[in-house]
Amino acid sequence: MPDPAPDALPLEGTPVRGDEAPDQAPGPAAEVPEAAAVPAPVDEAEAPTPAAGVPADGYQVRLDVFEGPLDLLLFLIRKKKIDIHDIPIAAITRDYLGYLERKTEINLDREAEFVFIAALLIYIKSQMLLPRETDLAEGDDPRRVLVDRLVEYERVKAACSLLREREDVEILQWKRDFVPPFHGEGEPEPVELSLFDLAESFFAMMKRKTADDTRIIRGREVPVEVKMKELVTLLQARGVVDFLEYFEAHESLEEALVSFFCILELVKSRVAVAVQDEIFQTIRVWLRKDPHRTAAHE
Amino acid sequence: MNNELKALVEALIFVSQEPLTPERLAAVLEGVPAEEIQAAVEALAAESEAEGRGVHIIRSGGGWLFATKPAHDREVRRLLQIERKNRLSSAGLETLAAIAYRQPVTQSEISAIRGVDSTGSLKTLLDKKLIKIVGRKKAPGNPLVYRTSDEFLLYLGLDSLDDLPSEAEIAKILEQEKAVEA
Repeated sequence: MPDPAPDALPLEGTPVRGDEAPDQAPGPAAEVPEAAAVPAPVDEAEAPTPAAGVPADGYQVRLDVFEGPLDLLLFLIRKKKIDIHDIPIAAITRDYLGYLERKTEINLDREAEFVFIAALLIYIKSQMLLPRETDLAEGDDPRRVLVDRLVEYERVKAACSLLREREDVEILQWKRDFVPPFHGEGEPEPVELSLFDLAESFFAMMKRKTADDTRIIRGREVPVEVKMKELVTLLQARGVVDFLEYFEAHESLEEALVSFFCILELVKSRVAVAVQDEIFQTIRVWLRKDPHRTAAHE
Repeated sequence: MNNELKALVEALIFVSQEPLTPERLAAVLEGVPAEEIQAAVEALAAESEAEGRGVHIIRSGGGWLFATKPAHDREVRRLLQIERKNRLSSAGLETLAAIAYRQPVTQSEISAIRGVDSTGSLKTLLDKKLIKIVGRKKAPGNPLVYRTSDEFLLYLGLDSLDDLPSEAEIAKILEQEKAVEA
């Protein structure tokens, strides 16, 4: 079925469509009650007997095997060997609604898209039935909105099959960007941590500390500024500080807490880096190699 | 053929963690003409191919890199103790294709192309770093604007976005699909 029309609908000339669709929305939206009325009673009728295998509030984005309403429409159009540029709206709408009805349950939240296209189909049909004073111009076919979308979707799907072929080959080729999950061999890739990891590690350590520390501790004032300087000096002197080791050495809980805040502050202000080689291992802290910022902090 | 240059280029590609671009290579090998570098890489690639070596040089993501061959995937995975690499879901791939061809693009534009809400797929693709947010559109609501990332090119073995399947290739697929149904 050769058709000169495909060239008249260039893929590139369609960005307007995104804006067009919402314009159409008020029209069909008003008619939704009628369109939706078709599946809705089914839903209610089936409700007392929960369909086996379908979760109560399941993630049912797909209608059967279709990726979306456009996918379903394309399938129907192809099945009937219809020219996409000259769709018999009434026939296709009937088929389409037939598919919606096959579902025992409709989750409006997830399948509103299917219902929307149903409404759009009915809206288009109504536009075509309405008598007009003047004949429609070439580009004013009410079906145009839908055809443009279908044509573009069809192309995306075709591109997908080509990209999938590439993916299938590429996925089998291993490259240097891949970091193997070897255990205990070689230098593991350091992972930059979130503050939560740091906090978790701290609390795990504090738990251990309180367990073996039963002495009564007399409070000693440890100002953050002093501790901060102490910590920076230590980091400068030692290069890398082992997080757990550092806290183990602390006398009091208060002092440890202050130190912990200092580290958080240093990491937050990007003066220091906290790194964990591997999960569940100790955390190492060191100063960033940025003398200007480090100096500024001192 | 300059064997010393060839060996040098091979070393640099080996050490590079990401695709080594001709620009980077030229910057490192100051003074060596671009054509010579190009010739050296091509000779290297041809050699490893001719000798049937396990590692070959491929052009992907804008540069050269070493890769193993598809035929060795099973053993490589066994070594790395990886069950298998998951392919993208069809929803994910569809979303990715829509972005690749329409970028820069917003969530609502992608959803309009697919006729399906695509926020979930977008999140997955962002997590996989195959797409990135490049800013906001100056439109009502200032929606986020998405583009494909460099990882996307590498993931599909594309050298640049120009390598995406062309209009002609897509038309051919559609033609084939219609022929099958007819």
